[in-house]
Amino acid sequence: MTGLVLRRTLQSVVVLLGVSVVVFALVHLVDGDPVRLALGTRFDQETYEALRERAGLDQPLVVQYLQWISSAVTGDLGVSFRSGEPVTALILERLPATLSLAGASILVALLIAVPLGTASALRPRSVVDAAGTVLSQIGISVPEFWMGIMLILLFAGTLGWFPAGGYVPLSDDPLQWARALVLPAVTTGLVSGSVLTRFTRSSVLEALGAEHVRTARAKGLGPRAVLNWHVLRNALLPLVTVTGVQLAYLLSGVVVVEIVFAWPGLGQLALQAVQARDYPVLQGAVLLFAFVFLLVNLVVDLLYSKLDPRISA
Amino acid sequence: MSAAQDPVAVPARRISVRPARGRFTTALKLLLTSPPTLFATLVVIGVVVLALFDELIAPTGYNEVDVQQRLLPPGAGHWFGTDDLGRDVLSRVVLGAAVSLQVGAVAVGFSLLVGVTVGLLAGYYGRWLDTVLMRLMDVLFAFPAILLAIAVIAILGPGTTNAMIAIGITYTPVFARVTRAAVLGVKESVFVRASRSVGVSDARMLLRHVLPNAAPPIIVQTSVSLAFAVLAEAALSFVGLGTQPPAPSWGRMLSEGRSYLEDAWWMAVFPGLAIVLLVLAFNLLGDGLRDVLDPQQRSALEAARAKPRRRRRAGVGA
Amino acid sequence: MRRRTVLSSLAATPIVVAGCSTGEGVDTGGTGQAGGEGGGEFVAAISAQPDQFDPHKTTAYASFQVLENVYDTLVVPGAEDQVMQPSLATDWTTSEDGLTWTFTLRDGVTFHDGSTFDADDVVFSYNRIIDQQLSNAYRFATVTDVRAQDPRTVVITVSEPTPALLAQIGAFKGMAILPSGVDEASLTTQAVGTGPFRLENTSASEVSLSRFDDHWGGPASLPGMTFRFLTEPAAAMTALTSGQVQWTDNVPTQDVSDLAEDEQVELGQVASVDYWYLAMNHAKAPFDDRDVRRAIATAVDRSAVTEAARFDAARPNQTAIPEDSYWYYDYAPFTTDLDEAKRLLEGAGVTTPITMGLMVTSEYPETVTAAQVLASQLEPLGVQVEIQTEDFATWLDRQGRGDFDAFMLGWLGNIDPFDYYDGQHRTGGSNNFHGYSSPVTDDLLNRAAVATDREQRKDLYDQAAQQIVDDVSYLYLYNPDVVQAWTPGLTGYTIRPDKAVNFEEVELPS
Repeated sequence: MTGLVLRRTLQSVVVLLGVSVVVFALVHLVDGDPVRLALGTRFDQETYEALRERAGLDQPLVVQYLQWISSAVTGDLGVSFRSGEPVTALILERLPATLSLAGASILVALLIAVPLGTASALRPRSVVDAAGTVLSQIGISVPEFWMGIMLILLFAGTLGWFPAGGYVPLSDDPLQWARALVLPAVTTGLVSGSVLTRFTRSSVLEALGAEHVRTARAKGLGPRAVLNWHVLRNALLPLVTVTGVQLAYLLSGVVVVEIVFAWPGLGQLALQAVQARDYPVLQGAVLLFAFVFLLVNLVVDLLYSKLDPRISA
Repeated sequence: MSAAQDPVAVPARRISVRPARGRFTTALKLLLTSPPTLFATLVVIGVVVLALFDELIAPTGYNEVDVQQRLLPPGAGHWFGTDDLGRDVLSRVVLGAAVSLQVGAVAVGFSLLVGVTVGLLAGYYGRWLDTVLMRLMDVLFAFPAILLAIAVIAILGPGTTNAMIAIGITYTPVFARVTRAAVLGVKESVFVRASRSVGVSDARMLLRHVLPNAAPPIIVQTSVSLAFAVLAEAALSFVGLGTQPPAPSWGRMLSEGRSYLEDAWWMAVFPGLAIVLLVLAFNLLGDGLRDVLDPQQRSALEAARAKPRRRRRAGVGA
Repeated sequence: MRRRTVLSSLAATPIVVAGCSTGEGVDTGGTGQAGGEGGGEFVAAISAQPDQFDPHKTTAYASFQVLENVYDTLVVPGAEDQVMQPSLATDWTTSEDGLTWTFTLRDGVTFHDGSTFDADDVVFSYNRIIDQQLSNAYRFATVTDVRAQDPRTVVITVSEPTPALLAQIGAFKGMAILPSGVDEASLTTQAVGTGPFRLENTSASEVSLSRFDDHWGGPASLPGMTFRFLTEPAAAMTALTSGQVQWTDNVPTQDVSDLAEDEQVELGQVASVDYWYLAMNHAKAPFDDRDVRRAIATAVDRSAVTEAARFDAARPNQTAIPEDSYWYYDYAPFTTDLDEAKRLLEGAGVTTPITMGLMVTSEYPETVTAAQVLASQLEPLGVQVEIQTEDFATWLDRQGRGDFDAFMLGWLGNIDPFDYYDGQHRTGGSNNFHGYSSPVTDDLLNRAAVATDREQRKDLYDQAAQQIVDDVSYLYLYNPDVVQAWTPGLTGYTIRPDKAVNFEEVELPS
C-alpha cells in the first residue's frame, strides 16, 4: 500500500510539472501581451518598452519559466499583471465562491442521482426507470449555459424567487448566500446529477447482479435489506470515482455557468486571465486546477484500491 | 464542453475476445430493436441528410441580412422567425447542421486518430513508452477542458478549423485511455498470444487483431464524444470563439439569441433544440452501442431483457 | 466578457484659455444633508469587474466608473457641454505666448487619509505619470515642466501652445491627484483620493464605497454605495426591476424603446462622445487605392449598420464628431449607391471578387454584429468579407503589427477635436495603425493643434475632417448613445456624454 501511495504521488508530481511547462509555453505562444493590452488602443512605443522591461517580459523565456516555477514551489505564484495583486491572494479571494458552488452542485447532483438512480435500478423498465433515463439523457445533452439562462428567466425573472446572479459571501449573510447559490448550483447540479444518475443506476444494477447479492436474496433477505447493505456498498465504488471526478471538474471552475450567473469563481478568473494575457494568474490558476484534479484522482484511486482489494494497480 | 460529462469516467474494463464479424451483425440487429437507439439512428441520419442537401432545403442563404425584417416571430414567411439581423432562422438552422456535423466529425476524428494511436502504442508496447505517452496524456487531461480549448484557440486564432483542432486535442487523452485499457485486456488473450507466437508482425498484429478487438469501447466512445464535441462547439461560441460569423453554427446562433431571449425566444430556442436533439441522439446511440458491443457494460438493456436468464458473470465487474 | 475600455480623451475647452474662470463653480448641491438619505442602500450594476484601482495605471472603464467617485482632477468636464470646469483648481491663466499655464488650487481640500491637498501633490502625481511612463504619459507630450510655485499655485510649462491641455489633465480620473508620498504599491487595491466617497471594500463580485465626510464639496447624500458586477444585460435588468440594484448601464440596446415607456424603470439616453469606424489598411493592395476605399464607403449603408448594431441607440455619421458637439462638422458626401461603387472599383482596375479580412473583437460585440451586416452589403460589390473575431489582446497585437486588411473599432471618451483626429490621421501618428498619410491633412492637423483661437481651430479641424472623410482614412459609421437605467424617483444623477458616472448627489426615493 505504501509503495502504491508513493508511486502514484510521484506520478502526480511529474504530471504537475508537465502541466506547468505546457501552460507556460501555451500562454507565451499566444499573440498579444499584457503590456500591450494595458496600454489599450492608445499606443506609444517608448512606454510599451519601459513597461515590458519593468514586468520582466524582456527576459528569455527559459529564465522567466525557471523564475516562475522556482518561486511557485515555495508557494509564491507571482503578481498579477492586471491588478498588481499577488496571484495567491486573487485565488484565495475566489475560493469561497468556487467551493460554495462546487459543494452545493455536488449536493444537488447526489440528491438527484442516488434516489433516482437507485429507484431506476430496482425496477428496471418501470415508469420511474424510463423517466430517469430520459431525464438524465436530456440532462447531459443540454448546454449548461442554456439551462442557466432558462432558470434565470423563470426563477429570477418571472417568479422572482432567486437573484439573477451575483455571489454573497457566507459570512456576510448566510440567507442571501444560500439564495444566490440556488440557481447556479441547480444548473451545474442538474448536469452533474444526470451523469451521476446513470452511474448510480448501472452500479446498483451491477451490484444487484453480483453473486453474493443473489445469494443474499436466496437466503431470504428482503430487497430492502439487500439494497441497504450489500448493494450500496458495492455500488458506492464507481459512484465515488465519478463523484470525485465531478468534484474536481467543478472545483476547476465552470466557466460558462460562472459567466451566466456573474459568479466570481476560479473559472472566470482563469478566463479573464487568458483574455488579459495575465500570465501569472493563468499559470497559477491552471497549476491549482491540475493540482486539485490530480489530488482528487489520487485519493479516489487509493480509496478504490482500499475498498476493492481486487484492484492493485 | 464539460468534464461533467466526462466520458472517461467509466472505468474501462477488460473485454472478451471473440471473432469480430459475427458480433457486429448481432449488434446491429440488437441495436435497431431498441426504440431509443432506433430514434437516435433516425435523428442522426436525418441531420446528415439535412447537411447534405442543406442548400436545397434552406429557403434562403445564411447571411441574407435585412434589418427591416429583424426579430420577426415565427409565421408564414419565416417558420422559425428571423434573427437580430433579419435573417431567416429556419435557413440558418438547416445550414448549421453541416457545421455542427463537421465540427463533430473532424474534432472527434482528430482525437480518435491521435488518441487511438497513442493508446495502441502505449498499451501494446508498455514499459517506458507507455509511461511517457500516458503521462503526456495525463498532463493534457489535468487541464480543465474548456480552458485548454480556449488557450489553443488563442494561439491558433479563432475559426471553425481551429476550434475543431482545439476540441480534438482536448478529447485525445480520453481515447488514448480507453484504447489502452482495451488493448491491455486483449493483449494477453490466448488468441493474441498465439498469433504472436507464430510470428505475426507487430503492425499487422495491432491493426488486424488488437484494434478490432479493442474496437467496441472505442466505437462507444466515438459516439459519446460526438455529443461532447457539439456541446463544446456551443460552449466555445458562447465565449466568442469557435465558428466565425456569419457562418450559421448552432452554438453561435444560440449565444447570439441569448441577448434576445425576452424579445425573440425563437432565436435561441430552435438552434438550442437542434443541439439538444443531435447531442441526445449521439448519446443514445452511444448507449445503444455500449449495450450491444460492450457486454460487460451491458447495463440497461441486458438487465431488463435478460432478467430470467441472467448471463452476467459475477466478480468481473467493478 | 470583460469590457475593457480605453478612455482616451483630452479635451480642449478654449473658452477658458485666458484665466476665464467660473470661480467656485462646482456646486455640490444637497450638502449638509448628511444622514438625510432615502430608504435602503444604493447598488449600481456595472457590466465588468474593475481590473485595479490605481487611477494612473488602469485603462478599464469599470475601474473608472468606481474611481470617478473616489478621486478628483484639477479640472473636470461639465456634465452636459463637456467644457472644463474648476475642480481641485479654482482658477487658471495662460501666458501670452501660450507656453505657461498657472493653476490656482482649491483651499481646504483633505485627502481620505486626512492629509491636506497642496501643490506638491499635483507635482507628485503628474511627475509620476511622466517619469514612470505610465499609460497616460502621452497626455503630457508637450509638457516640459510641472512646478509648485507656492502651496496654492502650480505652473505647467509646455514646449508649444497646447490649447488641449485642460482636456488632457481633466478629461477623466486617469489624471487623478494623489497625495505625495503615497504608498504606490497599495494603490492597486486601496485609494487615497479627495472625492466624495472612500474605497471601502473590494471583492470579486462587488466594490463598496463609503461617504467621505470631509469632502471639500460637502458630504455626499448617500452614506455609501456598492458597485456590483453583472455581466449579462438581462441579469442586470432583472436585478433593477426587482429592486436588487438601483442603477445600471448594462441595458440591452434592443429594449431601449420599450424601456422608455416602462414605468418600472427610468431610462436615460444621451448622445455620447464616442464613434465607431472601419479602417482599411492603406499599406495593403488594393486598399491602398483611394478609389477602392471610396467604392467600399459608397457601397456601405450606414443606417442599416447602425440599426443592426445599436437599434435606436445610435446615429449614423460620416465624420467622427457627434452632432451635439460644438466641433461637429456637417459633412456627408457618401450616399449608398451600389452601381456607383462598382464603377469606382472598376475604374481602379480591380477585378472582383476580392477578399477583405475584417478584424473585429468579441470584447466589443457590436463590432461582430456590424461586421456581418457589412459583409452582406459588400458581397454584391464583389468584396468577400472574411470576418475575423479576435480577443482584444490578439486584436491589438495584429493592429500594432499592421497585420490586417481592415478592422472595426471605436474611439471612446473623446472631448477635444485633437482627440478625434490627431493621433489617428497624422502621418506617423501614434494611433495611425492603418498607415494613412496625406500632406494636406498633416498640415491642417499640425496647425489646428497649436491654434489658440477657438473658431480658427474649428475651421482647421473641419477642413481636416473633410480631407480625412474624402480619402476614407477612416470609414466612419456611427455615434452611439449612452444608455443607462435607474430606479424611478432617484434624484441627483446626471447622465453624461462622456459616460462618467458620478453618484455624489444621488438620493434614493424615500
